[in-house]
Amino acid sequence: MPDWKEEITKQLASLKLAPAREAEIVEEVAQHLDDRYRELLAGGATEAEALRTALEEISEEKLLAKGLERVEHQAPQEPVVLGAREKTNILAGLWQDTRFGVRILAKNPGFTVVAAVTLALGIGLNTAIFSMVNALLLRPLPVSHPEQIYTLSASGKGGGNAFSYPDLEDIRKQTTSLFSDMAGVQILSTTGLSMAGKSERMWTDFVTGNFFEMPGIRPALGRFILPSEGHVAGADPVLVLNYSFWQAHLGADRNIVGKKASVNGRPVTIVGVAPEGFRPVSTLIETQGYMPLGMAVVDNQTKSDFLNDRQDKRLVLIARLKPGITQGKIRSVLDVVAKRLAAEYPKADDWKVLKAFPLPATGPTSDPPEGLGVVGALFLTLAAVVLILACVNVANILLARASVRRGEIAMRIALGAKRGRIIGQLLTESLLLALLGCVGGLVVGLVGSRVLSSLSFHMDIPITLDFHFDWRVFGYALALALVSGVIAGIAPAWRATAGDLNEVLHGSGRTTTTGGHGLRKGLVIAQVGGSLMLLIVAGLFVRSLLNIQKSDLGFDPQHVLNIALNPGLAGYSETQSYEFVDSVLERVRALPGIQSASLAATVPLGGNNMAEDIEVEGLASSPQQQTPSAGYNIVSPAYFETMGIRLLHGRGIDETDKQNSVRVAVINQAMAERFWPGKDPIGKRFSSAGDLNHPLEVVGVARNSRTSDLSSPEGPFYYVPFAQQRVLPVTLQVRTFGKPEATGPGVIGLIRSLAPAMPVADAQTMTDALNTPNGLWLFQLGAGLAAAMGILGLILAIIGVYGVLSYMATQRTHEIGIRLALGARPGQILRMIFRQGAGIVVPGAVIGVIAAFALARLLGGVLVGVTSTDPLTYAGVSVLLTLVALAASYIPARRATKVDPIVALRYE
Amino acid sequence: MDPTPTDLEWKKGSAELLILSLIEARPRHGYEISKLIEQRSGGTVRFHVASLYPLLYRLEKRGWVQGRWVEKSGQRRRRYYRLTAQGRRVLASQRHGWQVFVEAINRITEVEHA
Repeated sequence: MPDWKEEITKQLASLKLAPAREAEIVEEVAQHLDDRYRELLAGGATEAEALRTALEEISEEKLLAKGLERVEHQAPQEPVVLGAREKTNILAGLWQDTRFGVRILAKNPGFTVVAAVTLALGIGLNTAIFSMVNALLLRPLPVSHPEQIYTLSASGKGGGNAFSYPDLEDIRKQTTSLFSDMAGVQILSTTGLSMAGKSERMWTDFVTGNFFEMPGIRPALGRFILPSEGHVAGADPVLVLNYSFWQAHLGADRNIVGKKASVNGRPVTIVGVAPEGFRPVSTLIETQGYMPLGMAVVDNQTKSDFLNDRQDKRLVLIARLKPGITQGKIRSVLDVVAKRLAAEYPKADDWKVLKAFPLPATGPTSDPPEGLGVVGALFLTLAAVVLILACVNVANILLARASVRRGEIAMRIALGAKRGRIIGQLLTESLLLALLGCVGGLVVGLVGSRVLSSLSFHMDIPITLDFHFDWRVFGYALALALVSGVIAGIAPAWRATAGDLNEVLHGSGRTTTTGGHGLRKGLVIAQVGGSLMLLIVAGLFVRSLLNIQKSDLGFDPQHVLNIALNPGLAGYSETQSYEFVDSVLERVRALPGIQSASLAATVPLGGNNMAEDIEVEGLASSPQQQTPSAGYNIVSPAYFETMGIRLLHGRGIDETDKQNSVRVAVINQAMAERFWPGKDPIGKRFSSAGDLNHPLEVVGVARNSRTSDLSSPEGPFYYVPFAQQRVLPVTLQVRTFGKPEATGPGVIGLIRSLAPAMPVADAQTMTDALNTPNGLWLFQLGAGLAAAMGILGLILAIIGVYGVLSYMATQRTHEIGIRLALGARPGQILRMIFRQGAGIVVPGAVIGVIAAFALARLLGGVLVGVTSTDPLTYAGVSVLLTLVALAASYIPARRATKVDPIVALRYE
Repeated sequence: MDPTPTDLEWKKGSAELLILSLIEARPRHGYEISKLIEQRSGGTVRFHVASLYPLLYRLEKRGWVQGRWVEKSGQRRRRYYRLTAQGRRVLASQRHGWQVFVEAINRITEVEHA
């Protein structure tokens, strides 16, 4: 077949067409001439005749050039949709790009789904974690002008963020220049609500009458507590219920207002229901009932004169700042107040500093919270790394596609499209992908935040983790989607429109893609690095968790049940209460399957720790030294058996320790070593600062055991007999022979039969009780999140490595074919591809180790039993990642050795 | 058969109509279009490559037809032209105009039977 191209090109030469256009016309016309030539031959012409005729037809009177001159050299018209002016052209362009993008994505569903799912995982993870950070740190209290709500705390003797009622009255009167109002709340007391023969435990806030004035909201039913109420102990027996408690426990009875009930045996009237979502003091705490402060005497431990007792510090102060008050003014006014009160009441209010700061949405604290922000930022950073890894994967897929589409793009540029316009078009595509990913990500995020918020605190207080998605979360997800769309799209778009377009249009497909190699390889190296960093951090967290789980608690949590006993909730007097708990203990011991049973004021790691300043006889305390203090617990006989705490010396608390016998204490090892180093502490005496008249004689030494948290060093601790220091409520602890869960219902049933009016919470196993924020919870959460992110990062890296190596191997099919044809053995080819894989994995691992090293230094304080540079974790995780990544390169390598040289060579 | 000047004029006026009609039912490539014109006119009307393609590109530029490269297995890719919606409207109106014209010519050129 003659080559027409030369003749046609000659004809077109005078037109000076754009190369791409010229190539297209030449191709089409040449085909026509081929067909014509064949037709002429078939009609009986000789080859020479056919050639001559065809050439005549093409050069006929220069018709081709003349005709094309008119068609091709009209002013180029960009299609305009919405208008003719520049501005509207941009809009029109955007609209066109979007439609084109949607078509392109719809045409490649496989690619679209993979890319969108990848981004959805990244965005979803970020959204879930952000929803948590949002709920804990960002979302304000659901009250009007939440930025005006302040809380107060004092430092110095008698300081903290708990104040007495007389303190409140004095501070309020002396700070009217700062605050428009100031209320006091006694947060979360357990009470027993009885109504129509049913008893419920109810978490109640006792509040001053002006408390409900401040949030600026209306009740759902009835009224709130009035400013005139709560000033007199025992007066104003009214109750306002929380919305969800009213719904869940009282059947959302709309006629509830005015109904009678009793709280801890005292008659009260229900006067109102708070609106849904009413959490004026903390977004995390779900208070169930509100009563006037004076009614705090329903608790039989509250003295009837507590409203006048300056030392009875039970109130958190909530104040509304007047508009336009500066921090300097707050400080100067409060300094004066603190000095005045300290001078006037040196015993109760010896304050050095009194400060006010915005009430954190998570609830009242002594200091503005800081640590939570660091942890939140850390997890958001890790999550962002995962998202970047996802973006890199999508960028890699887009790069691969860009090389496939280079022909199309070159053509469009040749036809006069500006480079910026094409980049805009490609970015529109990646942004559309990211928006798809955003939608998927919100679904993933919703599931994730459900999981996060369902993590139980295992604590006996009504904490609700409400990680619902508000505008902040949606905004964050959308912003992430836009950013990731640009990150994933910009490099491929740039690459696709760069380089010599002529070469693309004329050359064969194989030579055009080498440019993208370096970039893709670089991206995957970064990806391997990022994923290794995530895995190392996850490894450190998991090792911490394992260390903690293996760590010696000093007691044996297996086979132990905890049941809270609070007979005061049923209206029992103090004496009746103690009789009741004694009889419960006696009968429980008689139940089958019980090894031992005892009472304790607090449960280890329950977040409810008691400590006292102590004075040790014969140990002169110098004025410079701080008064020594020790933690303590009040326990009944058999406590050490029940908890499995070994006694090292002397005896435990037993039946001989009666109310009127010698006051005794069992101390821990740390206390013995601290106060009586090298001596026998048995028989030595010390007293607690709260009760100097009754010194305690040491009768035994127990092993150190974990009481307040798992990571800080164990300090001095002592145990005193329940018979000698009565306290309520108490926890009944039971050691069972079999599974504790199986014994629980029997014990609960027994208690209910003894006191039907007393609400009893379910029995909790001691192992569950360890999962509190003070115990394992934080480590489990941290390890879980970090591991989830590490695994996600690993999967993304595997996909990345696999994708790039497969692609590179395909690109080298021709070369591999030649090698095989020249006698290369499959093993050699396998090694060649593996070497390419190692070229990605090894530099990536080095980068990852360095990055992890930098990041892990931030973690130092959170890790337990493992340093932030733990060589085992670094080496182990690096080897794991390297092996997995090399495994991912095996499949492409294997496939490369299967290349048939004949087929490969035919590619040309 | 060399084209006479009359021939050229005649073609120019009707060429667009011919092409649009031929791709009305289905897309066709340039060579196919030229073959069909030749066949259906019994060899009376012919478009050579040099005049066909400028015409096709002009129609395309006007948005009446749309060319598209199509690859079929075992063959080289070819550019197929199909009628756009706009082209369809133009065809309808040209066809109508042509019929009116032909009828008018017929009436004039008919032998008068006195």
